[in-house]
Amino acid sequence: MAEASSTQGGFGAWLLDPKRRGALLVAPALTILFVMNIFPLLWSFGLSFFNYKASSQRTPKFKGLDNYADVLTDEKVWERFQTTAVIVASSVLLQLIVGFLLALLFAKAFPLRRIVLMLVLTPMMLSFVSVGVFFKLFYEPTFGIVSYVLNFFTTEKFVMLATPAGAIAGIVIADAWMWSPFVMLLVLAGLVSVPKYLYEAAEIDRASKWRTFWTITFPYIKSLLLLAVLFRTIETFKLFDIVYIITEGGPGSSTETIAVYLYRTGFQFFKTSQSSALAYIVLFIVIVLTNLYLYAVNRREAEVS
Amino acid sequence: MSELKVSNLRREFGDVVALEDMSFDVAEGEYFCLLGPSSSGKTTTLRAIAGLEELSNGRVEFGGKNVTTAPVQGRGMSMIFQTFALYPHMTVRANLAHPLIRDGQDSSTVKKRVEEVAELLRVTHTLNRKTTTLSGGEQQRVAIGRAIVRQPKLLLLDEPLTNLDAKLRHEMRAEFKRLHRELGMTMLYATPDQLEALTMGERVGVIQDGKVVAVGTPRDLYQMPEDLYVAQMVGSPPINFLETTASADNQVSLPFLPGPVAAQGVGSGQPVTLGLRPHDIELAQDGSSRSARFKAKIHLTEPLGDVTVIDVETQNATMKMVLREEVAARFSVGQDIEVAFDPSDLHVFDSNTGSRLGPGASQ
Repeated sequence: MAEASSTQGGFGAWLLDPKRRGALLVAPALTILFVMNIFPLLWSFGLSFFNYKASSQRTPKFKGLDNYADVLTDEKVWERFQTTAVIVASSVLLQLIVGFLLALLFAKAFPLRRIVLMLVLTPMMLSFVSVGVFFKLFYEPTFGIVSYVLNFFTTEKFVMLATPAGAIAGIVIADAWMWSPFVMLLVLAGLVSVPKYLYEAAEIDRASKWRTFWTITFPYIKSLLLLAVLFRTIETFKLFDIVYIITEGGPGSSTETIAVYLYRTGFQFFKTSQSSALAYIVLFIVIVLTNLYLYAVNRREAEVS
Repeated sequence: MSELKVSNLRREFGDVVALEDMSFDVAEGEYFCLLGPSSSGKTTTLRAIAGLEELSNGRVEFGGKNVTTAPVQGRGMSMIFQTFALYPHMTVRANLAHPLIRDGQDSSTVKKRVEEVAELLRVTHTLNRKTTTLSGGEQQRVAIGRAIVRQPKLLLLDEPLTNLDAKLRHEMRAEFKRLHRELGMTMLYATPDQLEALTMGERVGVIQDGKVVAVGTPRDLYQMPEDLYVAQMVGSPPINFLETTASADNQVSLPFLPGPVAAQGVGSGQPVTLGLRPHDIELAQDGSSRSARFKAKIHLTEPLGDVTVIDVETQNATMKMVLREEVAARFSVGQDIEVAFDPSDLHVFDSNTGSRLGPGASQ
């Protein structure tokens, strides 16, 4: 019966043969992955060795590693890296502190804990764009909530994003607001994995609260904290959306992260090849960070088992 | 002087009453065992004494002071947990030193003390290892070491041998006795195992449903159990129970015995439960004092090496008895044998109340 239908059905039946069904089912995903990700990735890698401009008709010429040399000797690039580093460092630190404190809070039972926990987790689930828009409105000098509140204390008009420091703070706060819950989740997982009897043993041993934290709690959360730091560093390093929406890199170029700069080079100045080269340098850094992250994950697994 | 005085402890977990009315005293330097099946409230009692459990009612006095609401840290007690609760991220040395940190002694004093204790418990070779790399027995010793390192006045032990294998349990039983002798501290030991309670305890408190129902020396509890519950908790193999009715005052008859036997304290027609220890039943021999003889069939044999537990079947009753291995080897399952016991070895209990009648009865 099955054989008969396969000879009768022709191509359709041949395609749906159980032997090919698996391949058929993953084919759309693979096609999209190849067309949208892998091909552009390889193509841009190729472009980074030519002097291609997306806005010009000229035939691109092979330039070897010149683009890489240009990017790495460009002072602007190093400035953007510094800006990125400042934002990454302060944002990750703030996320760690806030996330850690939130985790300590939620490790204890209190009324409505589940509901409050859910609310605290929502920022993480919003899109970058909406978070960016929210905070842009919060910081708005005439009707934003920040200047509104500050008006109770001072008559001076407060323009948060007017100074470089204020703009960086604005971005850091928005990013930390969005991602502190993530750090909290990781730390919370560590906190609840500490066996309760260890705390009791410590009480019997007359250990102080402070000492109990360092000798018992901290060892259980330290590898998770490391994970949080690495993961958030990788993510914040690529920060684009929030910055682009809130400040567009301004004032001046004081909040222009490497990702924003990359976008500008590629799509506003149309230095396509150079931006590709820079993108590959960024990719390399992210790969290094990711490997550190994976190393930390493996170590955590070895510890837990 | 009574060192530890526990009175009327009550603890509820929702609808479950873990401790109903727990009261007992432990004398200074005594080795006291709490014996009870699992979830009878042993652990909760120890935790309440240590201060880890909030009580709805009751009072804990220790060293003449009321410590019912005192903080855990100030009570001068140590506890060994069933799970050992060693700090997994620390070395054995750090684990042992941990209780001493609060005292603020200089590091050489602490080091000396830690090494003393390690020596006493024979774990010196493990001092620089993480506790997770130790064997069960070594972990147990470190847990003991951590509990005794600061020389507490009272040591609480919560089923410390439950997580060990049989051979180690045997070794550790002797070890605990040695420690008690050498250190002279008061020890309160909770266990579900009657063998542990009887071999180690100077006195044993038998717990039933969150209450101490009997306190006595192992010998008292074995020879004169106050009621049916205590009789079946203490002794291995467990005591045989025979239900019957008193045929006359101070007399009971059993279907498999030719005539009535004496049983002090029973009234005619009273329903009674007779307890007979397996060790009190022997093979019938002429001229023996064991005058109550009966014929039975061997139903099951459980050789334990040195002795064999034999289940014998007679009219309406199955009883366990113990024979020396070389004697038991002569018999096989299904064979008829004649056995005997001394009627004065019978423990007589009131079937309705469960309490003991006759000699040793509390009333």
